[in-house]
Amino acid sequence: MKLDKYFDRSLWVFHLNTGSCNGCDIEIVALLTPRYDVERFGIKLVGTPKHADVLLVTGPVNRKMLPRLKLIYEQTPDPKAVIVVGTCGTSGGVFYDSYNVVGPVDKHIPVDVYVPGCPIRPEAIINGVLKAWLKLERLRGFSGAEIEKKIAEVNA
Amino acid sequence: MSKTTYKIPIGPIHPSLEEPMTFNFEIAGERIQSVDLLPGDNHRGIEFMGRNRNIVQIIYLAERICGICSASHPFAFCRAVENAAGIEVPPRAEYIRVVIAELERIHSHILWAGVAALELGFSSLLYLSWKVREEVLDLLELLTGNRINYGIFMIGGVRRDITEEHIPRIRKTLEYYKDAYQTLEDVFLKDPSIALRTKGVGILTYEQALKLASVGPTARASGVKKDVRQDQPYSAYADLDIKAITPDVFSGEVNGDVYDRIIVRVLEVFQSVQIIEQCINNLPEGDIVSEPKLAKLLGTLKKAKGEGVGRHEAPRGEVIHYVKLNESENPEVWKARAPTYNNLMPWMPMLENQEVADIPIVIASIDPCIGCMDRVTLVDSQTNKKEVLTREELIKLSVAKTRRILK
Amino acid sequence: MKYFNPEELLSFLKENLPETILDSNILTRKAGVKQEEFHQIWLEVKKERFRDTVKMLMSLQFPHIAIIAGNDTGESVDLTYLFSIFYGEKFKEISLNIKVSLDREKPSIESITDLIPGAQTTEREIKEMFGVEFVGLPEMRNIFLPEDFPKNIFPFRKDQKGLDELVQKES
Repeated sequence: MKLDKYFDRSLWVFHLNTGSCNGCDIEIVALLTPRYDVERFGIKLVGTPKHADVLLVTGPVNRKMLPRLKLIYEQTPDPKAVIVVGTCGTSGGVFYDSYNVVGPVDKHIPVDVYVPGCPIRPEAIINGVLKAWLKLERLRGFSGAEIEKKIAEVNA
Repeated sequence: MSKTTYKIPIGPIHPSLEEPMTFNFEIAGERIQSVDLLPGDNHRGIEFMGRNRNIVQIIYLAERICGICSASHPFAFCRAVENAAGIEVPPRAEYIRVVIAELERIHSHILWAGVAALELGFSSLLYLSWKVREEVLDLLELLTGNRINYGIFMIGGVRRDITEEHIPRIRKTLEYYKDAYQTLEDVFLKDPSIALRTKGVGILTYEQALKLASVGPTARASGVKKDVRQDQPYSAYADLDIKAITPDVFSGEVNGDVYDRIIVRVLEVFQSVQIIEQCINNLPEGDIVSEPKLAKLLGTLKKAKGEGVGRHEAPRGEVIHYVKLNESENPEVWKARAPTYNNLMPWMPMLENQEVADIPIVIASIDPCIGCMDRVTLVDSQTNKKEVLTREELIKLSVAKTRRILK
Repeated sequence: MKYFNPEELLSFLKENLPETILDSNILTRKAGVKQEEFHQIWLEVKKERFRDTVKMLMSLQFPHIAIIAGNDTGESVDLTYLFSIFYGEKFKEISLNIKVSLDREKPSIESITDLIPGAQTTEREIKEMFGVEFVGLPEMRNIFLPEDFPKNIFPFRKDQKGLDELVQKES
C-alpha cells in the first residue's frame, strides 16, 4: 500500500505517558524498528509538544500527572489531533476504582481517536494514526469528496 | 561552587521504570555532588484495588503492573496463593511456566540492550537488537496468543499447553538465538567504543550493594551472588543446576560499573537459551492445571486460611508477593513488590561524582521500569535564570562525550 | 560461612534472645520433579526486642530485606518483615518472615535503617500508608503519595472515612 500519494506532508507525533504499565509504550517504540518501520510514511516521534501535530496519550490519568496533561495539551499548536492508545485511557480498564486515578482521558481533554486494546498491537496503532491523519487533512481544508475518496481507498 | 539544580525526567523513548521519576541534582561544574529522588508519579494504588477483587481477578490486575515483566508478577502471585492455600501444581505446568518465564527474560534483556545503546548514541544498535527481539515475540504469540500480557498463569497451573506441533518451532527459535548470540557478544562486549564509554562509570561497590539490599543483575554485577533460582529454587529450576552469573566469568574481574552490568545481562541471555532447551528435552507428561473448573477453584479459595510468600527471579531482580487469606472472597492483605523498588537507593552512590553527560547511561543501567516525562529544568540560583533543556539536548551531551572519547 | 538448617537457626535465635519470640512455625514445601525441600520460618516477636533480633541475624550473614507488609486488623496494626538469609548455595536460603504487632492508636517502632540502609524505602511507604512512626528514620517526606495529599488520611487504614469520599468524587 503506497501511502505517499495520499499524504502530502509528514506527521509529527508526541508521546505522553500518564501513568501506564508501559505495555502500550513499548509497542509504540516498536513501531520505529525495522519490522514495522513507520518512518517510511513520514511519521516521526518528536521530543517536545510544540513541534507536534498529534498527541499520543497512554495510561489512566494519575492524579500527579493531570496538570501536566492539561499543560501539554495547551502547548500543542492547532490544528492537532489527540489519540488515546489502550483501554486504560478509554474507559479506565482494570484501574477503575483507585484513589489515585482520576478517570479516563476524555474527562479532561477532547479526544479524536480511540484505539482500544490491552495491550495493543502495533498494526492497530498505525490504523489509529491514519484515521487521525485523515481528520487533520479535513481540518486543513481539503474538500469532502477528496476525503471520502481517500478513506475509501485506505479501507479497500 | 554554583548551586545549579536540574530537574530531570527521562524521555519518551525510554520504556523503563515503574514510576516517572523526578531527580534533583546539585552540581559543581560538570560533576554531580549529590542527588535527590522523588518517586510517585506512577502510583496507581494497585494494592488498594486488590482489596475489592477476588483472587482470579487479581491475577489479571497483577499482569498489568508492568508491561515488560508481565509474566513475573502473576508467577509470584500464583506461588504465594498456592503456598498459603496448600495447592499442588502438576509437574508439566511447572515446566511450562519456566519456559514462558525464560522467554520473557530473553526479550527483556535484549530490549534493555537496545535502549542502553540508544542512550550512549549508537542508535543503529537499537534497531538491530529490537529486530532480533521480534523472533521471541513471535514465538510467545504462538504459544500464548499475545506479544505482551500473556494471560497464561492460573492458580494451580497454566491455562494453555505446549503441544507437539509447537516443539519444532521452539527449537528453531533457540537455534536462531544461538547464532545471533555471537553477534550480540561481538557488538556489546568486544567492541572497544562501548567499553571505553562504560568502564569506570556508575560504580556500586560490593559493600554498598549488600547494605542497600539491591537485587538482580545490579547486585550480581557488583559481586553479590544472589539469585532466587539458585538460592531457593522452585518449579523446574529445582531440577536444573543454575549458578548466579557474575562478571568475572567473562572478563576475570569485578568492578561494579556499567560495563559489568552489560556483561551480566548478555551472558544471561545465553543461560536462558540453555535452560529452555533442557526444559523442552525433559517435559513431563500430565495435566496442566490442578483444578480446571473455575467455580470449584474459587470455592476452595474462599475456604482457605493462611499466609503465603511467593518469590520469582524476574529479568530485573527478585519479585516477591505476600498474601494473607482469611476465608473470604477477597484477600485480607496483598503486597506486591517489584524489583526496581529495591534498586532505587543504589542510584544515589552510583551517581555521585559522575559527569553530567553520563546521567542517561547510569540511570538506564539498573534497567528501571518507568514511564516518563520529557524535560530538564536548570535553575541557576545565583542569577535566578531558568533554562529548559529537552531530553534530546541531554542525549546530545552524552553522544558528544562518546565522540570525544573515541577520537 | 556456616549454613544453618531451619531447626538450628530457630534454636540459635531462641537461645540467644530470651523472652523475645512469641510464636514460631517452620513451613516446608517441595519443588520440582525431584521433590526437594525448601523452608520458610514464620516468627512473631515482641516489638521492643525486634532490633536485637535483627542484630542477631546480622552476626550470621547480612540478611536481605525484601519488603514490609502491613495489615490493619481492627485491633492492632501488624507489620510483617520479609527477610531472607543464607544466600549463595543451592537450596540453602531460608525465608524468615517476622511479624510485629503495634498498638492501633499510636503505632510506633524503632527504625532499622542504621543497621540496614536499604530498608529506608519500605519504611517510608509504611509510614505514609498506615501512619506508623519509625523512630530514627532519616528521611520523612512522602515517597509515593503526592505532596498535597491530606496529612491525616492513610489510605490503607480501614477506619479512615475520608478516603472513600476521595474515591467517589472522581469516579
